Amino acid sequence: MTTDSPFVIEVDHLTVSYHAKPALLDVSINIERDQLVGVIGPNGAGKSTFIKAILGFIKPDVGSVLINGRPAQKTKGEVAYVPQRGAVDWDFPITVEEVAMMGRYQQIPWYTSPTSRDRELAVEALTMVRMEDFAHRQIGELSGGQQQRVFMARALAQGSDILLLDEPFAGVDAATERAILDVLERAKNAGKTLVVVHHDLSTAAEYFDRLILIKQRLYAYGPPRLVLREDLLSEVYEGRLRIFTDVLKGEAA
Amino acid sequence: MYELFIAPLTETYFQKALIGGSVVAIVAGVVGCLVVLRRMAFLGDALSHAMIAGVAGGYLVMKMLFGLEAHAPGMLLGSLIAAIATVALISFVARISRVKEDTAIGIMYTGIFALGVVAVSIFRHYIHIDLMHFIMGDILGVADSDLWVSVFVAAFVLTILILFFRHFQIATFDPIMAASIGLPVLFIDYVLTTCVSLVVVSAVSMVGVILVVGLLITPAATAYLLSDRLDRMMWLSALFGLTSVVGGLYLCVWLDSAGGGAIMLFCTLQFLVVLGVAPKYGLLARWRRMRNLIPQQQIEDILTTILRYGKTTPVQDISRYVEHHKGLRKALQQMVQDGLLTESAGGFWLTEAGEKEARKVLKAHRLWEAYLETIGTPREKLHPTAHQLEHISDGTTVDYLDEKLGNPHIDPHGKTIP
Repeated sequence: MTTDSPFVIEVDHLTVSYHAKPALLDVSINIERDQLVGVIGPNGAGKSTFIKAILGFIKPDVGSVLINGRPAQKTKGEVAYVPQRGAVDWDFPITVEEVAMMGRYQQIPWYTSPTSRDRELAVEALTMVRMEDFAHRQIGELSGGQQQRVFMARALAQGSDILLLDEPFAGVDAATERAILDVLERAKNAGKTLVVVHHDLSTAAEYFDRLILIKQRLYAYGPPRLVLREDLLSEVYEGRLRIFTDVLKGEAA
Repeated sequence: MYELFIAPLTETYFQKALIGGSVVAIVAGVVGCLVVLRRMAFLGDALSHAMIAGVAGGYLVMKMLFGLEAHAPGMLLGSLIAAIATVALISFVARISRVKEDTAIGIMYTGIFALGVVAVSIFRHYIHIDLMHFIMGDILGVADSDLWVSVFVAAFVLTILILFFRHFQIATFDPIMAASIGLPVLFIDYVLTTCVSLVVVSAVSMVGVILVVGLLITPAATAYLLSDRLDRMMWLSALFGLTSVVGGLYLCVWLDSAGGGAIMLFCTLQFLVVLGVAPKYGLLARWRRMRNLIPQQQIEDILTTILRYGKTTPVQDISRYVEHHKGLRKALQQMVQDGLLTESAGGFWLTEAGEKEARKVLKAHRLWEAYLETIGTPREKLHPTAHQLEHISDGTTVDYLDEKLGNPHIDPHGKTIP
């Protein structure tokens, strides 16, 4: 999976439309290795289309998405996906260990069962997020932060270098948020690139190395201090400026 | 005893019913787990109803083209086509119009069922399908051809489900992840729908259109209450399907009742029993958990009582100040276990964690009193109202009061606010 390019994700002039409405318009971003990247933008800004494009689910109208130098539609599994908490059925009859094991499914041929090596890797991934003691719990019995960590373990077990997280901080308390961030940072230090869809502007600067600000178009990509500019934010989040002046002040302090 | 249990086994009709019913129930139980987890229960109902049009169509085509009377494979194929057409129509209507899926299911299955009923009655001199038999099923009169059909269907469906267990598991649990690792999620959905259709078709001749959905989902739901792993849920579900058929058939012989009805009745009773006594998700377990739960309010009352007392507190003194006397002993034991209190000969005293907690509640109490005084609450009501409000615990309430009152140090009774 090594390429000469310093970029793991290369989005080039990407335009995607649904029913004559553009979801993404002429978006070009190159994302470097080992970064914690936040994707911000208002509701309906095309964040989920952006995710789908990186996962290789959609055929762009124009442009291309390259993952590790190859088209996203041909690199299935190289981007590990961590779903939004609300999208998971927490009553599903499945244990923590089984969820982690799902990360191995792509490597297991359909005619065999998971080997002991797969099991080792799953447990190893759980250990990395410090969830090994909960291996046999049903996933609904965990706290919000633990649940998020289980899905992180699944992504790690998948062995991908790129992790895509959909709103991991939605609906968790402050302590849990710290715990999740800690796991993200550890993954980054282990050489992963993390792309995180994020809602909360007030924490965006603190959490991420890079921010992507999109609303159909790409408004900015770079270090938080360059992205969280009043003029840009007011343009993207029309008329809700008061919040942003707080954000900017917090950033300056 | 012999009369009750062994005698029916010697009858051929009972043997056939037992074999056919068990085979169908086992495979329905296994595939039913996925139906329950994907919330497709209503679809099973739709498929069974749509079948009649398929059966009539298959019968007619085979008779007209080949002159074959009641050709079983032809009718089976017809039902399958009808079932799949129903599913396609449902998703088509739901996708292209503003009508939601549940309504689309309701429209399509009644419509196709009606088409079947009309076709059967128009051609009643031509094709011989007993509508009553179709609707109620006839497990005691199961034909050899039905038996073979169900055995083949069961073997086919179980093989697919076992071979591709992981695929079905992941496509059900997290379809986006499944697609992201390159699994054909849509195709897996179609395979599952086809499997459900096959099972429904093979089960209708035994338990009838109306009850078949029960055979599909009730054993699975029963197993759902008992298991935290999908593979185990499938095993248990198959077992519950089997016991429903065995139990139901005996019930039917003893009571001389309709076979399909007895099976589903037994199946439902089985569910209700498990719902009551399941160790983790049952009502009894829930009730016991609720009973063992010590109210936070009681814990906080105990803590502040001891803190106010200022030294090791005997149980009698604690019970004088704590509102809920019921389960006080148990609450104290639990708090010792949780590291909030220590027990000695003279009574109970706070640990470090317990004291911290107690001070927090006491602070809340005195701040509430101070706040209530500023909004003009009568003096005699200060304490009781604050006593209720002090238990609000969302972390920010106390800070808000503190800030709003300007960080007071003395409460209305002249006591220090910690």
